[in-house]
Amino acid sequence: MKIHKIISVFSILFMVIGCENELEINPTDNLPGELAFTSEANIAAILVGTYDEAGQAATYGGDLQIFTDLLGTSDQVFWTGSFATFRQAFVKNVLIDNGFVDDIWTNSYETINQANLVIDNLEIVTSSQEERDRIEGEAKFLRALNYLDLVRNFSAPYIAGQVNDQLGVPLRLVGIVDYSLNQDIPRSSVEAVYDQIISDATDAYNLLPDTNSFYADKYAAQALLARTYFQQGNYVAARDAANDVLVNSGHSLVTSGFAGAFNNDTDSSEDIFAFQVTSQTGSHDLTNHYASELDGGRGGDIIIEDAYLDLFDDPNDERANFTYINPVNDRRLTLKYTNQFANISIFRIAEMHLIRLESNFRENTSVGLAPLIEINALRGRSGALPLVGPLTLDLIFNERQLELAFEGFILNDSKRMQKNVGSIPWNDNSLVLPIPQSEMDTNKLMVQNPGYGN
Amino acid sequence: MKTKLHVFLKVLILLLLQVTFGQEKTISGSVNDQQGLPLPGVNVLIKGSTSGTQTDFDGNYSIRAKSGDILVFSYLGQKTVEQVVGSQNTINVQLEEDASQLEEVIVVGYGTQSKRTLTDNISKLTSDDISEVPNPNLQNALVAKAAGVQVTQTNGKVEGGINIRVRGAASVSGGTQPLYVLDGIPLIDPTGGRTDIGNGAPTNPLLTLSANEIESIDILKDASSAAIYGARGANGVVLITTKRGKQGKAKFSLNVSQGFSEPTNTRKWLNSAQYIELFTEAGRNSPFFTPEEGQAEAEATFDFLAGDTDWRSGEVDTNWSDIAFQNGYQSDADFSMSGADAKTAYFFSGAYNNTTGIIRGNELERANARVNLSHQLTTKFKAGMNMSFSRTEIDRIANDNAFSTPLQAIAQSPLSPARLDDGTPNPGTLYGNFLLDAENAFFKTIIRRTVGKAYGEYKFLPSLSLNSDFSYDLFSQTEDNFRGQNALFQSTNGEAFASDLGSESYTFSNYATFDKLFNDRHNINVVAGTEFIKYNRRITSVTSQQFPSDDLSTVSGGAEVTAGTGVNLKSSFLSYFARATYDLDGKYLLKASIRRDGSSRFGSNVRFGTFPAFSGGWIISEEDFLKSSETLSFLKLRASWGKLGNADIGGDYPSLFLFSGVSYNQRPGLAPAQPGNSNLTWEQSEQSDFGVEFGFLDNRISGELDYYKKDTKDLLFSVPLVPSSGASSINQNIGTLAGQGIEFVLNTKNIQTDNFSWSTNFNISKNTNELKSLPNENADIVTGRHINRVGESVAAFYLREYAGVDPANGDALYYLNTENPDGSINRDTTNDPDEAQRVVAGNPFPELTAGLTNTLLFDNFDFTFTFQGEWGASIYNGGGIYQSVNADYFDNQSIDQLNRWQQPGDITNIPQARLYAGNGTAHSTRFLGDADFIRLRNISLGYSLPNTVIDKMGLSKLRVYLTAINLLTITNYPFEDPEARSDVDGQNTPGETFYSSPPAKTVTVGVNINF
Repeated sequence: MKIHKIISVFSILFMVIGCENELEINPTDNLPGELAFTSEANIAAILVGTYDEAGQAATYGGDLQIFTDLLGTSDQVFWTGSFATFRQAFVKNVLIDNGFVDDIWTNSYETINQANLVIDNLEIVTSSQEERDRIEGEAKFLRALNYLDLVRNFSAPYIAGQVNDQLGVPLRLVGIVDYSLNQDIPRSSVEAVYDQIISDATDAYNLLPDTNSFYADKYAAQALLARTYFQQGNYVAARDAANDVLVNSGHSLVTSGFAGAFNNDTDSSEDIFAFQVTSQTGSHDLTNHYASELDGGRGGDIIIEDAYLDLFDDPNDERANFTYINPVNDRRLTLKYTNQFANISIFRIAEMHLIRLESNFRENTSVGLAPLIEINALRGRSGALPLVGPLTLDLIFNERQLELAFEGFILNDSKRMQKNVGSIPWNDNSLVLPIPQSEMDTNKLMVQNPGYGN
Repeated sequence: MKTKLHVFLKVLILLLLQVTFGQEKTISGSVNDQQGLPLPGVNVLIKGSTSGTQTDFDGNYSIRAKSGDILVFSYLGQKTVEQVVGSQNTINVQLEEDASQLEEVIVVGYGTQSKRTLTDNISKLTSDDISEVPNPNLQNALVAKAAGVQVTQTNGKVEGGINIRVRGAASVSGGTQPLYVLDGIPLIDPTGGRTDIGNGAPTNPLLTLSANEIESIDILKDASSAAIYGARGANGVVLITTKRGKQGKAKFSLNVSQGFSEPTNTRKWLNSAQYIELFTEAGRNSPFFTPEEGQAEAEATFDFLAGDTDWRSGEVDTNWSDIAFQNGYQSDADFSMSGADAKTAYFFSGAYNNTTGIIRGNELERANARVNLSHQLTTKFKAGMNMSFSRTEIDRIANDNAFSTPLQAIAQSPLSPARLDDGTPNPGTLYGNFLLDAENAFFKTIIRRTVGKAYGEYKFLPSLSLNSDFSYDLFSQTEDNFRGQNALFQSTNGEAFASDLGSESYTFSNYATFDKLFNDRHNINVVAGTEFIKYNRRITSVTSQQFPSDDLSTVSGGAEVTAGTGVNLKSSFLSYFARATYDLDGKYLLKASIRRDGSSRFGSNVRFGTFPAFSGGWIISEEDFLKSSETLSFLKLRASWGKLGNADIGGDYPSLFLFSGVSYNQRPGLAPAQPGNSNLTWEQSEQSDFGVEFGFLDNRISGELDYYKKDTKDLLFSVPLVPSSGASSINQNIGTLAGQGIEFVLNTKNIQTDNFSWSTNFNISKNTNELKSLPNENADIVTGRHINRVGESVAAFYLREYAGVDPANGDALYYLNTENPDGSINRDTTNDPDEAQRVVAGNPFPELTAGLTNTLLFDNFDFTFTFQGEWGASIYNGGGIYQSVNADYFDNQSIDQLNRWQQPGDITNIPQARLYAGNGTAHSTRFLGDADFIRLRNISLGYSLPNTVIDKMGLSKLRVYLTAINLLTITNYPFEDPEARSDVDGQNTPGETFYSSPPAKTVTVGVNINF
């Protein structure tokens, strides 16, 4: 009797043993990593995810452009926002624990790693050679784009006509899956990083189709090459690359006027490559910091000062009047960013004109167009009076600011043109971003930039 | 023949009884204590019935009873006495003191145990302790009451998270909250760690509970007690037991109270005149301008800030802090009805709380109801059910790191009017004016929670019973967030967000209990059982924009749906457990327990873990050589060892390498979401505890002294990865942490006379920890402003060391703290923050905590107060780089910035005011404050109407009371309040404050009525 009872007690107790298989629970909202590299569709999806990563606020979603513009300007704008970390850039006193610097670095390398994962698994793409080429080309384009901004902002400037063996950034070319391994890596030289960018962008140019919807195509890669050569002072190559884009890409200046080039929900004829933003996806931090509250901003953290407006020689230049006053706080703001769901243009055809005309001018050539004609064509689109000449590098530098201000160009233009930022020399340590504290803390092989303590 | 005789005798006896004892009569008498003093309020019951009474104030009673009835006299702390009613009409009783509170019954998980024979360290709080502190957050009642249990409210928001740290931090990156177990149901915080719902700040997981339904809270502190909860016990276990009906006639109690709150402390900011003075000076000193230009720069900004008003005439002087705070109110009403007869026990309760927080726009309204019912069906079978439901509605404000949170208004300039002439919020302030949100947006969270448990207990044998419990916890939360067209930064013609979280957990536990006393000497109790728990969560949300009008405020009103989420999350635990306790002669005590836990959260290789514990005790005072001692009334030694786990390591799938779906221009993509670690498993904590419990002078002085060691292995680390590797962190089990501490508890009955008594409870505990090893050859792990370094305590602050101001030029200085070639530290100073090396600068957790409670009873008055003290912690003010930086930017500055350096030779800690120049704005120890404090945590005065008065009203108790919480704080803490901490990223940045609200100081008046 007793035994019987005891047995029944224990049988009830151990009823749950059957539940052991209930411990096997897999997520339904995530894809286990080992399944990610098993189908062509997944590889293509990882590539789409790489665009999403690159377009995040930390980098091409706007913070990269804002941070470098603040670092590269003196009295043309004024930072009035609350972020002390952006103000550090504006007053040229970036500290090594600056959060935006950390985010730029981290997001760039996240993008690079995702591009690497795509490149490492190309053999899974078997449906067609075209598809495989497209995927490889886009991944290499995104990798090269990120390396160009990393090396330009985190390393001493590239000096034309010499071996650039100054410290660049770490070159990671293989995707990382197993993070239990040591991931320390030293910095490659600036030269090596540029070589890699050119190699990737050239591959992309050769692999990509002429058009590719809103994704990077052949001419996006060529535009990237033009910008890279231009930064290196390789004006012949820059000119020819820009000319190729201008002649063959089918993209052209928006003829309706300067305003037509901005705040577009879909790419304009002028956009060679833009990061896509909709009300549902993508980030537009440029609007956040440049626009009034009504336009989706914080009221205008970055105010346009008279010194910028004074750069214009023609008061009727549409670009000179491409500003508005926020009625709430009387701040003068740019009209370039008033649609928080607009795409963010990375390569505009206007930049290609400016590259080609300056390169032609420097090389004393007229590939495509004569420099003076080309600059006036660009000015004409905005209703500005033509320059009568003779053209000078200063006039071209000025024109770049009139056309490209607030789009993330000024810092690296100043370095390339060896022009001071206010009173700060173009090659001053303070105009190079520090390697983020978090990288210094974890990567034993990392070396800090001069002027940041080490 | 024999049988017949029996029947005959029985009938005869019955008849005799009828004649002799059948008559009901009035029995009266008095009840005294050992000293012969009358005892009021003693329960007098007729055994086996529900009729009973209580002694009056003079210890007298009268009751109708029949001869042969048995009267039961019971009183808390006294031994129960039974008297058979005979022929007499007077029964006087003297009650004997029970071995005092040492006989307390402690809830230990899957059973209870007498405190006297306990070999574990468990702190118990009773309903009286809890009701002393009227606050919608239950855990606030635990503050300063239990040694080694640090309870910290995150900040002054009514729904805010609460941190409970039992015996210091065990973990580095894993969860540090204890396991809450409500009537045997392990509770989870279903909203925890989710970024797709909520506002970024955690809510208190016990928010839905009302104090009036709680009978006791038992905190399992040492490994020996907590090991029965195995893989989830490492941060301590808090067992919450709800009330049950007690034998006796039905009791009805009612409590109504009304409280008034204000912040404990607010900081002083510059007024308009001071603001103009300091910023004009800053402009003139700015290296970016000539003095005239700089002054013009400042004045142009004043013009902007002042809007249409004239700052030169001092027209506006806005105190933004006053606008951010408001008077708080707290209304409580609760009732309960309970009772039991021999077979059925019942408890019904209802409670209502309505709290208006001290921060503008922050409110909470809660209604609770509970039924606890049990019935003894046969002598062998008992069944019951506990069932509660609650509805909690919260008006939330943004988290501390949002411009729209009221507390960030303290950054606004006093020159800016808060409102325009037409009364609408001024949109032209330095930063977005939170009033725009306060008046044009809402964030309403409603939690509907049903927690129920059905249980049965079957006694197979007198010594063997089986318990089977099935529990279900349904947590259903909806959120509605609407931001109208005029809300802060609103640019999409309004935006609505709605979310729905459905979380259910069910717990199925079965355990057998064997309990027997052999040979009157060997007392054996064995519990063995199994438990299966499953958690399911389902979260959906949707966002829409473009509203035709603010009159529409739900998602449907928006023309465009812009975001949505849908998530299913599951996890499960399967456990086997057993515990055996043995005592010999009630003085030699032994206990052993083991639990084997499996969890879906861990990789299949390491899915199960086993957690044993052993303990022993010796009640020396029971030995002959001490038994007769007059002075020493109780002495027990105990020691324990056990192993615990911590399974809370971030998410339900922390070990898996995961990709998540992403969208780019509405095209589907994949992105890596989490690096995998298939060897991820429990954090293991081993704890040893040595304790002594003592009582002197008939336990008028009693206490406990404990020493413990808590060593944690396989620490759960969210190890920061090299950022250029493309991932930020990985969950790993690496490193060891050694913790130790001392706890001391002293309870004294200082005075005990006829109409005056005074007792004191004091507890103090010291806890320290030290990291013993770390991954990658003990490499430092730096996360933000915290470091984990071998030889230091967990998550120590790691900051540049501020060196004050150069008297010659007003520059902010930092110590270099670089290493010299000879290994010494270079203590020279620099004005370049990037030159200065960071140093370990403080501990975010206190090393010493103490509590002191005094209870005084005088005639019909009761008076109690509790002091709380914490020492050794530092708090970093993350907002300091804006608030207290000698007018670097136009944020209003704390008043101490007026002490800035002005001319060569000035000795001060505040650098020269230099607009935009970043003079002293780097994160450094300049913004680190000592958080030592002593606080009058609660003070309560009550008056009970004399029985002579209330008897006529038909009441058994009528008490009016006045209670104050946080009335007084003694501290040198430089910021708002040591309990004002950031509610964003709390776990990764412990001990930081960032525009965080101080807690409320509340004064409550109320009345308790029992009948």
